[in-house]
Amino acid sequence: MLAFRSEAHVDRWCDETGHERGAAFPLATAWRLAERWYRDRLSPEWRRRTPAEAQAVFAELGLTGEFWNLG
Amino acid sequence: MALYERFVEDGEPPGAGEVADALGIAAADAEAAFRRLHEAHIIVLTPATTQVWMAAPLSAVPTDFRVETTRGEFWGNCVWDGLGVVSMLGGEGTVRTRCPDCGEPMALRVEGGQLLETDGLAHFAVPAKRWWDNIGFT
Repeated sequence: MLAFRSEAHVDRWCDETGHERGAAFPLATAWRLAERWYRDRLSPEWRRRTPAEAQAVFAELGLTGEFWNLG
Repeated sequence: MALYERFVEDGEPPGAGEVADALGIAAADAEAAFRRLHEAHIIVLTPATTQVWMAAPLSAVPTDFRVETTRGEFWGNCVWDGLGVVSMLGGEGTVRTRCPDCGEPMALRVEGGQLLETDGLAHFAVPAKRWWDNIGFT
């Protein structure tokens, strides 16, 4: 996951590098995802999320649709 | 956990031998444990070694995501992980990166658990179900 200055920068980078246009969303959402995902990473109780739990985290943050489907 | 604690403490991941010493187990057992963590997608080893490459959100090698925290400076694997390092280490810090399109530096500052710089976008090129096909790129 990369950080871009704007939507236009994402479009140009995808065009110039041939990368697929994937999912673009506000950095504030990326922060909430990072916080939700890693806040407890050093806790002794930490365990890897199941795919269903991971999917639920994405859904809470509005990251839905086929792109976010863990299948 | 021994691995993560050492990584945060030293700024670089321990080798299997160091973890073995710390836990009082055989080096071969620590290496086997590293491989199991790799197979379980909890850490990523440098190919054909038992050296830790990634212990998400931390990277053992320099990346485009330098993270400054109250517990030291680290590398993140991507912007998600860079912000994840800040969250994991107390919610105060800055992720320094560059826009891949124009090269302009970007500083994502988090204070008191809040992201201050909200201009810009995060972009994920790889759909979720393919993240582990090539985790180095993802």
